[in-house]
Amino acid sequence: MIEFLEGNDAVVRAALDAGCTFFAGYPITPATSILTGMMRALPERGGVAVQCEDEIASIGVCIGAAMTGQKVLTATSGPGMSLYSENLGLAQMGETPLVIVDVQRQGPATGSATKGADGDILFLRWGTSGGLPLIVLSPESVEECYTLTRAAFDLAERFRTPVILASQTEVGLTRERVDLEAAAVACPPPLSRALAPADQPYAPHAFSHPAEVGPLSPIGGSHLVRYTTSMHDERAFLTSDPEVIARMMEHLERKILDHTDEIALVDYDPQDGATTLLLAYGVVARSAREAAARVRAQGGRVSLLVLKTLFPVPESAIRRALLGMERVVVPEMNLGQYAQVVRAHAAGAQVTSVGQMNTELLSPDTIIREGGLL
Amino acid sequence: MSPKESAATPAAAGADAAAVSGGIRPPSYLVDEESMPLPFCPGCGHTTVTHALDRALQMLGRPPERVVVVTDIGCVGLTDRHFRTNAFHGLHGRSITYASGIKLADPDLTVVVVMGDGGAGIGGAHLLAAARRNIGITVVLANNFNYGMTGGQLSCTTPTGALTATCHLGNLEAPLDLMGTLRPSRPSFLARTSVFSDDLASLIAQGLNAEGFALLDVWDLCVAYYASQNKLTRATIEGMMADLEMPAGIHYQGTRPEFAHAYRDLYHPTDTADEEGMCLSPPELGLAPVAESALPARTGILIAGAAGQKIRSLATLLGAGAIMSGLYATQKDDYPITVQTGHSAAEVILSPEPITYTGSEDPDIVLILSREGRDRIQKKLLGLRPEARVYVEESLGNIDTPARVIPLDLRGAAKSVHRLAIGAVGAGVILGREGLYPQEAFEEAAHRLQKERVSETNIAGLREGVGLR
Repeated sequence: MIEFLEGNDAVVRAALDAGCTFFAGYPITPATSILTGMMRALPERGGVAVQCEDEIASIGVCIGAAMTGQKVLTATSGPGMSLYSENLGLAQMGETPLVIVDVQRQGPATGSATKGADGDILFLRWGTSGGLPLIVLSPESVEECYTLTRAAFDLAERFRTPVILASQTEVGLTRERVDLEAAAVACPPPLSRALAPADQPYAPHAFSHPAEVGPLSPIGGSHLVRYTTSMHDERAFLTSDPEVIARMMEHLERKILDHTDEIALVDYDPQDGATTLLLAYGVVARSAREAAARVRAQGGRVSLLVLKTLFPVPESAIRRALLGMERVVVPEMNLGQYAQVVRAHAAGAQVTSVGQMNTELLSPDTIIREGGLL
Repeated sequence: MSPKESAATPAAAGADAAAVSGGIRPPSYLVDEESMPLPFCPGCGHTTVTHALDRALQMLGRPPERVVVVTDIGCVGLTDRHFRTNAFHGLHGRSITYASGIKLADPDLTVVVVMGDGGAGIGGAHLLAAARRNIGITVVLANNFNYGMTGGQLSCTTPTGALTATCHLGNLEAPLDLMGTLRPSRPSFLARTSVFSDDLASLIAQGLNAEGFALLDVWDLCVAYYASQNKLTRATIEGMMADLEMPAGIHYQGTRPEFAHAYRDLYHPTDTADEEGMCLSPPELGLAPVAESALPARTGILIAGAAGQKIRSLATLLGAGAIMSGLYATQKDDYPITVQTGHSAAEVILSPEPITYTGSEDPDIVLILSREGRDRIQKKLLGLRPEARVYVEESLGNIDTPARVIPLDLRGAAKSVHRLAIGAVGAGVILGREGLYPQEAFEEAAHRLQKERVSETNIAGLREGVGLR
């Protein structure tokens, strides 16, 4: 069915189709329509959606609900992400499946509430103490607000981790023609939570290999479940044993990083003979696609790599796209955040950051001009 | 408060419990203390609180699998690992949020929060919200007037004049009265007691039995810091209550419904068993094409008006009509956060091809309906190409732009329909003169997406605009 929808509408639709049963959030422009959308949609399906007293409570309530077996979603913008920060670490520590949508607006601080930006990109990766990995996806269209939200729920279940959808005003609140039913057909069926067998003893953080993820048992179910913010062993009892702690931290890192290639979602559009790679993500990828088309139409050569997974960094895809490249141009609506990440993987290629923080959607012309593409 | 005696050991509810293990008592909810002794300092009131909670849980007698003990950060937060129940140990001050999420998701669980006065201070907003909601969690607040875990610092309940590590010459703040603060919210159960009180366990049990939010302000003894510096003892704790005018006893018992159950009663359909066919109310028919458009290339349209002129919904209809003519469309709105005043603008892009870049660098068509809108897009007007068209409400006077300006009596044309139809009139002008797509598609979009009364106004306005010369 063809509709005319905003990205935030598509997030709501995707959450419902993914089997989300619980939402808690706090109003904030430009994410509010996800809150109101979930409040309208969830109860009639037997779910729960509540507005909390602040963002700290929103994510806390979500974490509690997730551990009873609910698939949970929360949504906010930059200022709210700042308040989610500490609990993001808790969700990592407790290995909680949790989907967070950050509809970015231009910061820092209150910034421009109704204007888009990609200013949270590195904050989303490094936004809590400990530096352990989590998953960040970034949609470029209303359709991808749907498909990547669906993917986020599956990844959260599979890896028992917070997964963040890095949306922004320019896609979250842009309305466009979309067929979500067709998009849904292209998505794999929603991943159900892997549950520990009821007739066997349960340890919340058991694994046989550090890169493996064990099943969950819901609070209130057949096992007594423990959950803790503190350094713990596999049964979630406090420990100060450096060997046990090292093993748990290795697990939290490797359960994601060892699966980087499976998590990596990219769209690669190479051009023969090109020595410049245009690397983009999020809504700016659309400007990059247009820029590449204009460059090619005028006889220039440029390859294009669009990242849908930002973290863990899709290293293999980036390396492959960099083969034979002299230069990488990274356009983004911040002052060069992901360009820093690309620089770390650039292997000799020169990295040109085309950063813009003036609240306007980065245009194809600016990318061509500042990126020296013609 | 005048410090008098040295610290004394609080009533040992645990010792009492052990002594009465004569066979009638249900099994303890605590793990065996021989193999896993409680970790508190000798004489610390937290031991008493832990044993009293265990006894209260025994009185309630629920299966351990249906009980969750949620602990905050602080010494008393070490208790959860000693309970043979579900246990959740989260961030400092946020225990009430996790407990609320657990209760909201599974309302028939017994959810207990064990926290200190430190958690009440940093998480004060959560306490207030939980009490206002009357969510069915029982908070056992071990209130020992300082932060014991970090070396005895000032807390929100430290009495005025008391000494702590961060007010070594005396506390200048007034202590928080938890009963007085929460009572106006009319939660299910509020009581104050102390670790020396014989009724501690039975009061906790009353809290557990309450349907909604229950809080027990349990005055407690930190032997390592507060009690030694301020000479708090069993004998003086009652005097302290009197001095501060914070008496012991049950302070409130309310009858408001419990939140998690009330939410289900009000918000869930009576027949929740049938989850089929529930969806986020998409329009019944979608926007499948009903007409065809001959639009040759991507076309940018900028509509600039004022709040109240229904600019955003008009732009949506303009885009939806295009989609129903087989085109692609995007829409971006621009309005201040004070939505009922100032400008309201929308950019609509129509294209026979999928739209990549959604910005409107250089609109082909501009519609100006008000002064606020004109002022908002001033810069853009100056940058237009000469072949662009600017349709403008004629009363706005001269427009500074290299593009072709077409003044029209939009306001006058709208008057015959409705004051708010000026946007629809403008849309009619654009469709009538620019030939973007058939007018019928716009009308069908209005029928499908809007309530009848609204769509009729918009269609009438559109027709006025199409015929406007």
